[in-house]
Amino acid sequence: MDGGSVLEIIGKEIIGVMAPVSICMFLVVLLVYTVFNPSTAADATIAVRTAANLIYLESPTDSTTQKLEGAVLNAIVFVAIITVVTFVLVLLYYYRFTNFLIYYTRFSVFLIFSTMGSMILISIIERFNIPVDAVTFYVLLFNFTVLGTVSVFSNGVPIIVKQSTMVLLGIIVAAWFSRLPEWTTWVVLVALALYDLVAVLAPGGPLKLLVELASSREEELPALVYESRPTVARSPGSSARDSSLGLLVAPGLGMNDHSSSQGVELQELLASRINNNNSNVIGIQEREVGHHTVMNHGEIEEAVVDLEERSPLVTRLSTDHNSNVNNNGDRGHGDITAGNENQVSRGNDDENTMGDNAESGSSRGIKLGMGDFIFYSVLVGRAAMYDLMTVYACYLAIISGLGCTLILLAVCRHALPALPISIALGVIFYFLTRLLMEPFVVGVSVNLMMF
Amino acid sequence: MTVAAGVGYALLALGPSLSLFLAVISRKPFLVLTLLSSTLVWLMSLIALSAVWRPFIPFKTAASWPYAIVIITSVACQEALRILWWRLYKKMEEILDAFADRVSKPRLFVTDKMQIALAGGMGHGVAHAVFFCISLLTPAFGPATYYTEKCSRIPFFLLSALIALAFVTIHTFSMVIAFSGHADGNRTDQYFAPVVHLTSGMLTLINLASGGCIIGIPLLYVVAAITLAYCSKVVWRRLSANANRIRQANLH
Repeated sequence: MDGGSVLEIIGKEIIGVMAPVSICMFLVVLLVYTVFNPSTAADATIAVRTAANLIYLESPTDSTTQKLEGAVLNAIVFVAIITVVTFVLVLLYYYRFTNFLIYYTRFSVFLIFSTMGSMILISIIERFNIPVDAVTFYVLLFNFTVLGTVSVFSNGVPIIVKQSTMVLLGIIVAAWFSRLPEWTTWVVLVALALYDLVAVLAPGGPLKLLVELASSREEELPALVYESRPTVARSPGSSARDSSLGLLVAPGLGMNDHSSSQGVELQELLASRINNNNSNVIGIQEREVGHHTVMNHGEIEEAVVDLEERSPLVTRLSTDHNSNVNNNGDRGHGDITAGNENQVSRGNDDENTMGDNAESGSSRGIKLGMGDFIFYSVLVGRAAMYDLMTVYACYLAIISGLGCTLILLAVCRHALPALPISIALGVIFYFLTRLLMEPFVVGVSVNLMMF
Repeated sequence: MTVAAGVGYALLALGPSLSLFLAVISRKPFLVLTLLSSTLVWLMSLIALSAVWRPFIPFKTAASWPYAIVIITSVACQEALRILWWRLYKKMEEILDAFADRVSKPRLFVTDKMQIALAGGMGHGVAHAVFFCISLLTPAFGPATYYTEKCSRIPFFLLSALIALAFVTIHTFSMVIAFSGHADGNRTDQYFAPVVHLTSGMLTLINLASGGCIIGIPLLYVVAAITLAYCSKVVWRRLSANANRIRQANLH
């Protein structure tokens, strides 16, 4: 008896995405609370002029309508800038300037780590009076920056380094964004959620074009995405178990759940890349086997493009795939979820980080764009500036929105915007908590009356 | 009273849940998802309740009966939610069993079902602790402390942490009892959870009297201990019934 139960399989992919998002949010809240706390006079007077503040710089003495108008204007300008940049990105990608995009992304990662990251580090050092000398600081910063820049697009770096780099990037940019004034932050967040919805789902939307271009060329987008590669200890004798989320959700929708139709779903995705299979069984097995490092054959390295995984797979079909099960644990290859070719895009600009789609990658687990990380953390960071209760409420709202988006992803099987649901829930919960719940809970519990 | 005290209060309220989380729940991703969704459901019920009661809340009278009404309505709302949660769980169980059949894994064990109930209950408990205790702890990380008038010898943060610990225990384990009661159709078990919840809510009303917390909080812990003991009895009963059933099935 292998002792495994269904509970251990389901939800691994979701947790693989939720954990880094939670870590990012937690660290941003910590940063905002300890270092960037706007209640200190010094921070309140520093008005950061960013792309989001071009028109209107909020000051506490303005009237409400003025703040609202200014914030809306700021948001419109911000979204317009992002749209223009995304279209430029689409054009560049269309004309195959991919290398330029990759180098530019690396450059912007370098800048983010070295300038913005170092400023945050310096404020931390000042705040906690850490005794560190300048030489050590620069050496460490340089090392760290170079490691981060290299790990972003390189395939030879361990996945954990890549994931940590992504999370750190998200933290740094989110900490900077949370310095925006309050009204502007909320309106910009809402505007970005709407923009994301349009850009990914509408027929002319730039992100949708980008995704289609990338999938038609069968390349990965040169963008900053977080990939989670869940590892699953697979028990013998199981066939199409990969997309546990997809299998879980699909029958609930009344889809035909015997193996041939599953093979069909998977196959149409793999057909373009695997041209020597013509039966359902092979389709399923290839899909599941192909994304483990084939340790026994030693032919495949870690992060290999799917096309190269074809040949060993055919020979593997005759062997049972029990043997390659447990030694893949920490190599980072694992299930794919709904297994389709969706991409995530990210426009590159120091502050205009966008590209907020969630996708289920073909070989790599779920991918989430950096823009999502950043804007979730900005929302939570802004909630932290009011009180911790709003932080918990917004955290729960965002996580549940992310979960809903992931479930929708398993159902819809194409690129989905990850921002709208979470941001909508987050904003609603923030205002509900701030206006309604907090006075109630504080009023009740100060009297030591709880339920 | 400094970071150490703040962290201490937080761990006092959430320490056992943290260890339970690390030992049991973090092993299975589905249980983590259950925990998160039950926390969310509890939060939504709290928001709904506060929407209803917000206009009234700083009560003008010093009498305790308005608070009693608040507690009764809140408990009623949350117990209704528990029934809803049970229905959702039944649906989830069917989906999970179908999934298990499809991937040729064993169906849900009894222990699995109880673990799901535990995760659901812990979600409620953690939500209570977070919203009633931890989110008020922010001043505790600073240099001073706060005493309420009614209970002026113990810092407020310590009191709320103790009460939160008791409630976490009550919520976590009464969910297990409630689910097994609904599964087996056992009336006692089914009514145990609402009764205990209401009792513990009412017990906190004692805190409104001056110096009442000296009686109220130990009584609350008595209720928590009763819940724990009863839960262990229910679990034992269920596991041995299950073992008997398997033995009978193997004999045939």
